[in-house]
This record gives sequence, C-alpha cells and structure tokens, in this order.
Amino acid sequence: MPKQKQKTTTQLRGPKRSVGYLVLPALGLSALAVFLPMLLTIIVSFTDWNGVANLKELNFIGLRNFTEIFADEVFIKAFVNNVLWTTIYLSIPVCIALFAAVLLLGRKNARIAYQILFLIPYVLAPAINAMVWLYIIFNPVSGVWGFLKKLGMNVINPLSNQSIALYTVAGIDIWHYWGYLTVVYLAALRQTPQDQIEAAQVMGCNALQIFWYVYFPNIKATFRLMLIMIMITSFKSFDYVWLLTQGGPAHATEMLGTYAYKLSYSMFQTGKASAVSLVMGAFGLAMSSLYTALSRKEDPS
Amino acid sequence: MKKKFIALLTALILVVSAAGCGNSAQPTAPEENKTESEKEETETAETETADTDLQSGTERTEVTMWFWGAAPWQQEILQKNLIDVFNSSQNEYELVVEFRSSVDDDISVALSAGEGPDIVYGSGPAFVTPYAEAGKLASLDEYAGQYGWEDLLQTPLYNTCKVDDSLYAVPIAMFCSGLFYNKEVLDEHNWQIPGSVDELTAICDEALEADLYPILYGVKGWLPALEEVPSLFFTQWAGPSAVYECLTNQQKWNNPKMVEAVNATNEWYQKKYLCSDLFDLSSSEAMQLFVDGGAPFLFGSSSGYQRLAGFIENDEQAAKFGFIPFPSGREGVPDPVYTLAINATLSINAASENKDAAAAVLNIIESQDFMEKMTAQWPGYWMTALKDYSTVNTDGMGELGKQCVEVMRGVCDAAAESKFGFYSSTFYPAATASVMQNIDTVWYGTSTAEELLDKMDAEFAKEYANGSVPELVQPAE
Repeated sequence: MPKQKQKTTTQLRGPKRSVGYLVLPALGLSALAVFLPMLLTIIVSFTDWNGVANLKELNFIGLRNFTEIFADEVFIKAFVNNVLWTTIYLSIPVCIALFAAVLLLGRKNARIAYQILFLIPYVLAPAINAMVWLYIIFNPVSGVWGFLKKLGMNVINPLSNQSIALYTVAGIDIWHYWGYLTVVYLAALRQTPQDQIEAAQVMGCNALQIFWYVYFPNIKATFRLMLIMIMITSFKSFDYVWLLTQGGPAHATEMLGTYAYKLSYSMFQTGKASAVSLVMGAFGLAMSSLYTALSRKEDPS
Repeated sequence: MKKKFIALLTALILVVSAAGCGNSAQPTAPEENKTESEKEETETAETETADTDLQSGTERTEVTMWFWGAAPWQQEILQKNLIDVFNSSQNEYELVVEFRSSVDDDISVALSAGEGPDIVYGSGPAFVTPYAEAGKLASLDEYAGQYGWEDLLQTPLYNTCKVDDSLYAVPIAMFCSGLFYNKEVLDEHNWQIPGSVDELTAICDEALEADLYPILYGVKGWLPALEEVPSLFFTQWAGPSAVYECLTNQQKWNNPKMVEAVNATNEWYQKKYLCSDLFDLSSSEAMQLFVDGGAPFLFGSSSGYQRLAGFIENDEQAAKFGFIPFPSGREGVPDPVYTLAINATLSINAASENKDAAAAVLNIIESQDFMEKMTAQWPGYWMTALKDYSTVNTDGMGELGKQCVEVMRGVCDAAAESKFGFYSSTFYPAATASVMQNIDTVWYGTSTAEELLDKMDAEFAKEYANGSVPELVQPAE
C-alpha cells in the first residue's frame, strides 16, 4: 500500500509529458465539438452550400460570400447594432452592478435575499422573460400598455418603434443580466482583505477613495474578465433579440446572429451565413486574445 | 430570527416565481402565430399505437412521421382520423407520429445526416426543392400515378411540388388570402360587406373615426408572416399575370406594376388601414380582438378558421363571421381572384425503407373523406388541395367547417378559370420570398419600393439560374 502511494506521487511529479496525457480528453472533446465545426464553417464560408446538399459536392466560390455580405446593408446594420449593443453592455449593466454590489457590501444580513431577488430574472429561461415583456407589459390590449391606453395615454410599444427598439431589447436583456453581474462583483469585493480596508479607514479615506484605492484593485482581475466576457457574448447575442423582435422592425434590431440564422434557415444560404458567423467568431477570438495578453502581462511568473 | 425570516421570505419568492413561470410558459408560446406552417408552441408529445398487431400477433414495422407541435386536442383528432385509420387498414405497418415544435429545424438536421422520419414534413414547396436536389427526398411519380393525385389535386399547387418535372411532395392542404369580417360590427355601423376596394377603404376610414381598428392583423412572434401583405397586394394591384411574368423571368420585379403594389401596401400601412399595432399583436391576439368586436375585418388566410375556432363557442356565434377574397386594387385585375397557397407539404424520405407504406399514408391525407372528417372537427387547416369541392359533404360539419368548404368552392371555381394569385412561400424561391418579408423596411422608410424590388431581382436572378423556381401554371388576366 505504501509502495503504491509512493508510485502515484512519483507519477504526478513525473515528466510533463504524463501530465499532458491528462489534457487529452479535453483536447479530444474540443476537437470534436469546437475545432471540427469551426473548420467546417471556414470551409463552407467559401462555398455556396445551401445547408442540405451533399458536402462532397461543395462548390467553391472564393471570397464571393464575404464581398457580398460586406456590400449588404443589412449586414452592416447588424454589425453596427452589435457594436452599439456591446457599448451599451460595457457601460450600463457594469455601472449598475458595481454600484449595487458596493451597496450590498454594507448590508451583511440582507444581501443574501437581495442577491436571490436580483438573480431571479437571470435564472429564468429567456423565453419566459420575453413572454413577460411581450404579453404582460407591452401588450397593446391586455398588458400594462393596454391599460395605459385605456386610461387615454398615447403610449407606443418601444419594441415596434424603429428608433428605440434596439435600446429596448438591450434594456430587457440588461434587466435579466445585471443581477448576475452584481453577484459576481459582490463575491469579488468580499475577497478584499479586511486589514487593507481598516488601514484606509484609519488613514481617513472617504467611501469613494476606499472603493477606488482598495476595493477596485482587488477586484480588477474579475472586473477585466467580465468585461471581456461581455464583449464576447455581446457579439453572439441572439436569444432575447430573436424572442422579442426577430431582428425587426425593418432590421432595427438585426444582429449578426439573427442575420446568420435567417440566411441559413430561411434563405438556404448557409455559405453566406458561415461567412457572417466567421466575422462574429473573429471578434470573439480577438477579445479572447486580448484577455490572454492582458492576463499574461499581469502574471508575475 | 431575522435570518430565518429572510431565508423563509427568499424561499417563498423562489417557489412563487417557479410556479409562475410554469403557468405562463404554455399559453404564450412564441411561435403561436406562425401562419403558414401553423406551428403552435406546445409540449412535444409522441403518439403511439400498440407495437404489435393483436390479431396476428406479429410485430409491425413502424412508419414514422414528424409533425409540428399540435395541441393535445389536435393530436387526438389526428390520432383518430389518420393514425388509427391507417393502422386498422392493414396489419403490416404501424404509423407513429411525433409532434415536434421545432419540426423544420429537426427535419433539416436529420435529412442532412441521411436520417429522419419516413414521411417528411416541409413548410411549403420552397423547402422541397433544395432537399429534392440534394437527393434527400424520394420521387413520388410512381405513387402519383398509382393513386391518381395529379387528377385529384389543384394543378397550380400540385406543380409547385415538382422538381425537374418529377413530383417530390404533396400539399397537406391549400388556403387563400382574404378578409374575415364580423357581421355584428358591420351591422352596428351600417356597413355592407365590401364588393370593391373603394368600398373597403371607405369602411376603413369610418372605422378609424369610430376608434376601431379597420383591419386587424398581427405578426408579433412570427415576423415572416409579413409576406402575406405583399403576396396579396401583388395579386390584387399588379395582377396575377404580372407576378407570373416576374416568376418566369420575363419581367424584372422592379417594374411599374410591382412598384405600385408595394407603394399601395405602404399607403395602407401609413393610413393605418392595416392594423397600427400589427407588430405588437400576435395572430391569436388579433383574432381575439376581432371576435370581441375590435374591428370589422381581420386580414389573413382561410387557414385562420382554425384560430377562429378557438374563440367560438357555438354555431350561432360562428354565423356572425365570414370570409371574402380581397377585392382587386385596380381595373384589369380579375375579381374575385384568390392568392393561392399551400400550408405545408409532405414528402417521403429517400432513405426510407417503407416508401410504399408512407405513400399509402399520404394518400389518406389527400382524400376527400379525410378532409371531411378533419374539417368537421378541426376546421381550417386540413382543406385538401382538391380540384373539386362541389361533392364535399358538409352534413357532419359545424358552421365554421361549412364556411371553410364554401370558401374552397370559391377558390376551386376561380382556379378552374385560372383566376389565382401566387402566395410567396408557395410559389417563390426561398431567398426571394425572404426579401419580400422585408416589406416593413418600406413602411418604416428605410428603403423604397424600388430598392426592395431590386433586392428581389438580385436574389431571384441567382435562384432562377439555379432552377429553384417551381413549375408554374399561367393565370388568366
């Protein structure tokens, strides 16, 4: 028994090659679930594949899909919407969540209840949340909007108002997301060493100074990770947009994800949809690389 | 004590929230107003019959079919009139129908992998062409000859199911675009059923003054339903022949007649004749409002009868409603003319090992007897694309079923004189039809009629070159 234990320990401390074997299952899974589809998407983006025809008979058309999508005003609109969406997400929910997390920091007894309350929209299925807004709030007949109309108020559903539809969808998405961000920030804030906080208090720092010079440096890694995650997920946004507006009205809420879906499933232009997906993927890859670079820069080792 | 109270309160909130989401999920499913494929969001269920034939004791071979996520009461009707009928007609096969809310996506993935059910559901002929060209569907020519489908079914619709002159699908049913009217609302305001577009617009103006929606219509949850508007306006304003010329590449889509038709949709939208809340109402909500007297008319297709049935309690109430073809928008366009469509198609999987049995199931669905039974219990959806409705027996049907049959008789009469229009999801290739769904860009002023039609031309040119346009019958003008 002692011999066996010793052997195991030796294996763990052994050459790096044996440790590398342990990574193989994860690598294999990634190859099947990520790299293979990614490779297929790259190949298909240079073809006019309709999503149904035999893959052995692919017709390569060079860069035509890319030239067509970059000349397509719907694609440009979707890209701009994605950039706007990312900008909104990088500012509004981050500020709200950070502010709420700091407030909750001082409410030791009630913060569990608050966190659960804030998390409810996040844990509910997007379809349910969308139904709440579509059928209970914005319904012009029986919803809150309908009630206001019956009172004589001239209310317009913001989801069908071209100029604010995107911000409305983003607002609903933020409504479901900010609670999660609050919980993450709060968890990070609570890791701040108490002695640093007390030292700052003794030195006469006010609340803002304590946050900026003590708390924030301690949560910086988490803060940065969440920013990168927000940027990546913003470019992949699909569910709330699809459930609430399907990219309409008049492409006002069109995103790259909804556009790619329509190209593939409504228009049978899977090759072009793959090209759109690659643009989305490229953005995610750039953000991931940025995060890795920043992490490496700060890593003391 | 305080902590316990907080914990208790938290638990209570979670329980209430969970209970709430369970209740709200079902009646408000997002796909409830898909008008063409009618895929109402319900829980997926599987209908099965006995695995073995009780009389012979031998195991039956399963013939599988995927269908959209019908409601339980609809599944029961299908069980009784299709599954049980087929299973009791022989003792070798057993029909198993799976009801899937994501049937289109499931079919697409399964066929691409060389799998899928024996009987393939498709949301219209536009879906058939790519699958047939990819060799995923079996040719039905042999069965068409065996069962006489060509003589039985409406030629314009039957032909759209052909690819390279070979049949690859049969329509589940046909429908046409038009207007439902509410007799009570019309009578209350001394309005007559409109016989011309001028009479219709006059009523619309008065309805607006009376604080009513003139024509109810809703696309919330299913934006592609917008295609109904240009499909109908192309027929009624440009005329069926003009559309035929575009679809056969004799004319560009961007021609004066089509521009006029697109601009007419815009005029109707801006004047609020088409429901001002059309993006905020689902088709079910629009129908409910219509039944409640919120408008004299409801814009939609004859398959809307199945939705109307959900709000009607008895024949007396049903008699307060009716359906008319949309009046022609300009002189020279035949009147009445019906914009024809297929709600969905059924094909046989090329990989199926039970093709003969699958064809026998299709033949039940294409029969007049099946249509009569289904319409008696589920009016609106199962209006088989028969050439002749004159011999249809309506004795066992309720008021709505009888109205459906009457509408179809009008369609058949008009089609016999080649007075029919082309509904986009049935007659147009997929990408061209998709561009038409962007009609709202004209209404919102982000594109002009000419720009929209230019896009249609660009997509159509590619699809026409690929042979994606179905075989068409020339309409009369």
